[in-house]
Amino acid sequence: MFGVPKKLLFLVLCVFAHFSWANDEQSYDRLYDWITNPIPFEPIETGTHLGLEDRSSHLEALIPQSAWKYYIFDGMDMEIAATGVYPAPPEWGQHMNDDYHLDDRGVLVGFKGGGFPFQDIKNEDPFAGQKVIWNMLWRPGQVDFVMPMTTWLRGEGGRLDRKLEFTSIASTYSRGDHCLVEGYEEVKTKRVMEFRSPRDMAGAKDMSISYVDHDRENSGWMYMPSQRKPRKTLASERTSELMGMDMIREDMNGFGGKVYENSWTYLGTKSVLATINVPDNPEFGGPHLWVPHKTRWEVRKAHVVLMHPTVDNHPYSSRIVFIDADTNWSLWMFAFDREDNHLLRMNQHYLKYSESYAYETPQQAPYIKQDFSENVGHHVFLHLGESDINAKKPHATMTHCYVKKREFTEARAKQFYSLRNMISGRR
Amino acid sequence: MEKYIRPYLAIAGVCLFFFTTHLSAIVSVGTELEFEGFVKFQNILRTPKFKHAEAIMQRNTAQLEGKYYFLKDSQAFGLFNTGPIEEATLTVTGRGVYDSIYDVRSSYDKAFSKSDGRYGRTEASLREAFVDVVLPPVTLRLGRQQVVWGETDGFRALDVINPLDLSWHWSRESWEDIRIPLWMARGIYDIGKFAWFDESFVEGIWIPTDFRENNISTDPRKPWAFTGNGLNKTANAIYKDGLLLDLDTEMRNRRPNKKLTNGQAGVRFKAIWGDIDFSLNYFYGFSADTGIQVQKNLSQTIDNTFYTVKDIVNPRTHVLGFTANYSDERFTQSVLRMETTFTTGIPVKLSADAPMSADPDRDQYDTARRTVVMIAADRPTWIRSLNKTRTVFLSSQIFWRHYIDYNPYYRGMSTVKQATFDGRVVSGKYIAENTDRIDRDEFVMTFSASTAYGAAGLLKPSFLMAFDPRSTGAYNKLKVDYFWSDNILLRFQQHIYWRAFNNDPGPWGLGDIWGQTSENSRHETDLSIIFQF
Repeated sequence: MFGVPKKLLFLVLCVFAHFSWANDEQSYDRLYDWITNPIPFEPIETGTHLGLEDRSSHLEALIPQSAWKYYIFDGMDMEIAATGVYPAPPEWGQHMNDDYHLDDRGVLVGFKGGGFPFQDIKNEDPFAGQKVIWNMLWRPGQVDFVMPMTTWLRGEGGRLDRKLEFTSIASTYSRGDHCLVEGYEEVKTKRVMEFRSPRDMAGAKDMSISYVDHDRENSGWMYMPSQRKPRKTLASERTSELMGMDMIREDMNGFGGKVYENSWTYLGTKSVLATINVPDNPEFGGPHLWVPHKTRWEVRKAHVVLMHPTVDNHPYSSRIVFIDADTNWSLWMFAFDREDNHLLRMNQHYLKYSESYAYETPQQAPYIKQDFSENVGHHVFLHLGESDINAKKPHATMTHCYVKKREFTEARAKQFYSLRNMISGRR
Repeated sequence: MEKYIRPYLAIAGVCLFFFTTHLSAIVSVGTELEFEGFVKFQNILRTPKFKHAEAIMQRNTAQLEGKYYFLKDSQAFGLFNTGPIEEATLTVTGRGVYDSIYDVRSSYDKAFSKSDGRYGRTEASLREAFVDVVLPPVTLRLGRQQVVWGETDGFRALDVINPLDLSWHWSRESWEDIRIPLWMARGIYDIGKFAWFDESFVEGIWIPTDFRENNISTDPRKPWAFTGNGLNKTANAIYKDGLLLDLDTEMRNRRPNKKLTNGQAGVRFKAIWGDIDFSLNYFYGFSADTGIQVQKNLSQTIDNTFYTVKDIVNPRTHVLGFTANYSDERFTQSVLRMETTFTTGIPVKLSADAPMSADPDRDQYDTARRTVVMIAADRPTWIRSLNKTRTVFLSSQIFWRHYIDYNPYYRGMSTVKQATFDGRVVSGKYIAENTDRIDRDEFVMTFSASTAYGAAGLLKPSFLMAFDPRSTGAYNKLKVDYFWSDNILLRFQQHIYWRAFNNDPGPWGLGDIWGQTSENSRHETDLSIIFQF
């Protein structure tokens, strides 16, 4: 008589346990545990293609646990390459100033670029987390490009909600012992980004100036064709999703916020799989077409940095960033919801080393042809795209970047990155 | 019947085509030529006093924008070296309009016959055509174009270079679409950093001969005619010496004609001082607002008709302005904006009974000097009870207009009334009177909020309110955009006009002027389908 209810109860418990487990897999605690209690794995031979069958032997050990749900799937194909050595430009570190320091908030003061501010990251250093981030923020090759982009906004099952096309052009001003444009020594970088499609956004452009002084907020203007004039924008609001994309401004490159608005913990280094030198802009795979598929991965040693926003109304309880220990580029970022400490957003980056353009060229933007051969010789990474996933919606934004390195002359930079250029647009 | 169904079928067919078609945004032809544009089907339902409804507009618009990159990297047409000229492009925008409501509604048949020239029914125009030339440190834009100055949204102080076409939907459309582009030359000299200033430049504009006034329809048969604060009629009678006479008005065009001495020009210096972005502006032009000068010496009564002559004039104006904005990242997390102007040559009406001291020319016309001060704040704000993933963009502004040499006989909007004689209504006769005394200080406050919903932010609601605290007249707009796809945008808008107290029309075209007290009541529901590429 009680057999059926007991079976039903057991079934309900099983289902409940399954969903609890599924949710827990993306909790902060599980990722923290995955970082601090490494899963052992065997070395992988170069040229091996990892698939779903390698889940327990390699994938769970090398893909951060919060990402398993998206990156481990039936039919997956990860080509594993040897862990590469990617030297920085020969002049990197040769023209740095040395009169800089970290203040008691962990803010880098007086640094002007031209090299990594911190050569060694030590576990016991209380500022190790901030130092990793400063190295990432001043890495070589982060700008000085013309970067047409295509972004796809996809829901579950790969449903395409929107496709955006835009171009970002950016230059480094602060270069250690000199500045790109004399008289602008307070400027770190300048960037102009213009949308091309869809038409409701076409012609919208913004100019952003970031400063060497980390305490100074960026300056920004946005030109909207419908208004035919630029509008000053607010830089200190960094936590709202951008134009329907599944990211906030603070998520840029893993961390694009203010160091003094977080508390920091360095969690050491960890081996992870990374798309650090892909042959081409990767195709997308998985059940929702959210992640890179059939492309080249490497096992990389990454610094793991944990940060907790100190402001009460921040959407994140914590953020964990994996930054390549050799090149200081962001590989993975995971941000956890303040409400339940489960994954809210994550991103993962696809990079390509400039010297690899000598023997393999990625695809061109669908709307402009560029000469990529000039990328060779810069000895820097180029950002070929990223996956940004909002786990709660759930929804994702995938971007392909078609980067061409471009060094502006002083005269050209002065003309191009100017407010004058923002008072009119393509219409 | 077939006549009325045909436009619907045509529109349904076109809609079906667009809903099943995907076009890339910006269609490229080779590497030098690009096209973009939109087709818009706009349907407006007017609901006077919310008591009944009538379809007043079915405006179908096709706009095509072409851009030709004929000079790149100092090479023109890939053939000629142009030396210091680095880049040049040609941009051409054309627009065609067909308002099918006049074919659908039989009641409009009489109003819009072929003899009317079908004005408002169809339109084909070259909106903009200009060449951009980059010749560092100078950039030029030459041709028919729009130039916008100032920090104010939705009201005009410094943004007076291009007039507005208010004839078909007042100022309720995007101003990009209702500004009247002018043939002009615009040049910018980039200075950059000097003295205390950063990002500085000087901009000059010259409009050699192309003067246009604001386009306002006064034909009461048109859906958005401006007939003042009363009946939607044209005055055809007048009280004279205790008699009700027919009124015959001859309007003489005394607008500036197309000659170089009627040129207009302006200059602006813009820069950043500290963290304050500011500009100093000067514009020497003609008032886009039209004045009416009554030629009393040419007016006379013959038999039962009073003949009057009025001149349409647009006086010379000087506009001197200053704008500033500042991004306060620390305390208010807002962008603070301000704009102030001093303008001469504002045409104003004088009361017909103004004394000689107030109206020595007896032409019921004067020009005034006016100042404007506008302060505003923009703030992306978290309201998590409304939206958990995106901020709500809040923007508010206060706009204060002040007449310097104020005259208590200044008059605003006239009112058309039914004529009466000996206590009896005279059928078909309407008289105009003007008792709307202009206030020396005029105010309007605006507030807007917008955000985006949905996983990809495809649902975009926005709310706008403009309120005149003196007349208590207000305008509200609720707008919802939904992006069905990258090509198709569905738009819903509800326009509501109201007032809290009294019956003061106010100076801004808010509240009662389009509101509840007369047959002008113009609450509207606007449904649009836009195919964009």
